[in-house]
Amino acid sequence: MPVVELAGVTKAFDTKIAVNDLSLTIETGQMFGLLGPNGAGKTSSIRMMMGITIPDSGTVSLFDKPFDRTSLAHVGYLPEERGLYKKMKVIEQLVFFGCLHGLGADDARKRATAWAERMEIADALQKKTEELSKGMQQKIQFISCLLHQPRLIIMDEPFSGLDPVNAVLVERTLLELKDQGNTILFSTHRMDQVEKLCESICLIDNGRAVLAGKVRDIKSRYERNRVIIEFQGDPAFLKSNEIAEVKNFSGHAEINLKPHGDAQKLLREAAGMATIYRFELLEPSLEEIFIQTVGGAAHA
Amino acid sequence: MRNMLLIAKREYFEQIRAKAFLMSTIGLPVLFAVILGIGYAASLGLGGKKHLVITASNAALAEEIRQQLTADKDRKVSVDVITILDPTTKSNLMNELQNKSVDGILSIETQTAGVPTATYTSLAAGDFMTGARLGRALNDGLVGERLKNAGTKPAEAESLLKGTSIQTFQLKKDGSVVKTSAEASFWKGYVMAILLSMTTMIYGLNVARSIIQEKTSRIFEVMLATVKPTDMLAGKLIGLGAVGLTQILIWLTAAAAMVITPFAAAILTGEYSLHFSWLEGILFPLYFLLGYLLYSSLFAGLASTCETEQELQMYMPLAAAPTWLSFAMIVLIMNDSNSPWAIAASLFPPTAPIVMFLRMASETPPIWQFVASISLMVASIMATLWFSSRLYRVGILMYGKRASLPELLRWLRYS
Repeated sequence: MPVVELAGVTKAFDTKIAVNDLSLTIETGQMFGLLGPNGAGKTSSIRMMMGITIPDSGTVSLFDKPFDRTSLAHVGYLPEERGLYKKMKVIEQLVFFGCLHGLGADDARKRATAWAERMEIADALQKKTEELSKGMQQKIQFISCLLHQPRLIIMDEPFSGLDPVNAVLVERTLLELKDQGNTILFSTHRMDQVEKLCESICLIDNGRAVLAGKVRDIKSRYERNRVIIEFQGDPAFLKSNEIAEVKNFSGHAEINLKPHGDAQKLLREAAGMATIYRFELLEPSLEEIFIQTVGGAAHA
Repeated sequence: MRNMLLIAKREYFEQIRAKAFLMSTIGLPVLFAVILGIGYAASLGLGGKKHLVITASNAALAEEIRQQLTADKDRKVSVDVITILDPTTKSNLMNELQNKSVDGILSIETQTAGVPTATYTSLAAGDFMTGARLGRALNDGLVGERLKNAGTKPAEAESLLKGTSIQTFQLKKDGSVVKTSAEASFWKGYVMAILLSMTTMIYGLNVARSIIQEKTSRIFEVMLATVKPTDMLAGKLIGLGAVGLTQILIWLTAAAAMVITPFAAAILTGEYSLHFSWLEGILFPLYFLLGYLLYSSLFAGLASTCETEQELQMYMPLAAAPTWLSFAMIVLIMNDSNSPWAIAASLFPPTAPIVMFLRMASETPPIWQFVASISLMVASIMATLWFSSRLYRVGILMYGKRASLPELLRWLRYS
């Protein structure tokens, strides 16, 4: 069942078209990455999924039915523009957000305490938000959108502001939530995380979807034209006609093949001149696909 | 509805628990008491002793004026009389005036026939209170002297000059007659109008400030995932309005508790007798609520278009102008509380709360005027809320530069 479905959605602000005829589908239980350079239309698309803004044309469906605010009871949302009440105690704040999502105060308090322990910020519960670091505030925000056990979790740049340790903690939590059957959509500029976490992606540029589908399918559509060779002997094979670009680090070479370059021919040439310890034909990374698709100037 | 009440509750408790609430609840009435106390003390001459000098060739007239000036024991005035004024004495007097050992010199020149001429020289150009007292003393002194010259015995002259005061009573609509004081009624109306305007403005601005703070802290988008913008705005208005009402109820309760004290009994029955009616007790919180809703809903819309409190200040005259207008009409209202201008201002929603209370200080207006004034306020609150909620829905998600007028008009169309 599609949990989120955008069909031909367009949204313009004055003369700027933020989202242009965008269509995408996110199935139940998927971890979905929404990618794109700055100003591509990611946040505008997410805001329409949340009913914060209304599309000029096209339709938004949540849980396989046209958008309705009652569906938001099952959605956890972490916006890009995060905010907390600075003067409120963390626990009061979490209870408040839990109650806004329909929980009773006692239930919200219990869940908030459990989540705080899970996210390693139990000590901060009685502190005022303004006393906490940005990373801690980020985790509180993360908890606040999960308290009501949403079936769909939408997170706009969930890893921004987190140190590597906490980023791993959030990654692990998201994977656990996915394993429990929840659907997760997040936007990010971190391609390594998308590659590691997401099954499907949609790459937006200038408000349009320029690349969409399962990560594996997308990557398989691109040629394996990167080769890593570890060798000992004559490096003359690095001047092969199959090679477009090479970086040689004395015995470790990173090679980009020419379009339709023959990797097997290169292996034969290399084996004739040197002892080969490693010959690996790599598929392109998402980052390379991203840059190749939206242009080098528009990378995040 | 549930989320709206949750937001109202959060706003209410955040404000109530703040030190600023405690300080303003106690501080505002104390501040008024101090200001009124200083004003009263100053009117009694407690601000300091005055040293005046009368120069007159007519010693009897000068003495008569001196007695008039020093007769009122509440006012600390010492008066010296100089009857022979040679140039040296005159020069010395001017020096004393310069070095402030003398506060003022009243010079009386007696004509051979007719009314003497008088001049008063002091360092304070605007000392009209002393000027008025000197004028009364001079005229009473002249009449007294003329009576004596006409052969009237001093005791008889004094008796003839003795004035009397008028006690004022007000016939109430229920037929009862109560002792009143125009001065006390004026101050009562004035203080209630000031309290009303201050609380309305303070809480109206609190709404605006709260919106700008939330916009700065970027909390709106988090909230919008669960709450409709109209519920957010309504919750904020209800929560902060409830804080204002709580403060007013504390003041009314404290005032009611003070009524039963012996000190209050003296005030309520003495020379400056004050009367508080149940109508005032109901209308004060009601007009606060209406004034607050009118201004706060207007400010909410405007604040959502601003990024900082400095930008909001540009709109301050919108709020201040009706208050200035209301208080500028105070003399007109006190002279004739039923003049067409006073009635119009008490029906005009932005000035209605303050002007109605100024009018009530002298006379309770007819019921139809209360009904009309409240109805017009409710209608204008609805209109302002319609306008503001549209600006608010769009404005809270707009960051960056302040919106221009054409942009604001577009925002109204968006929603």
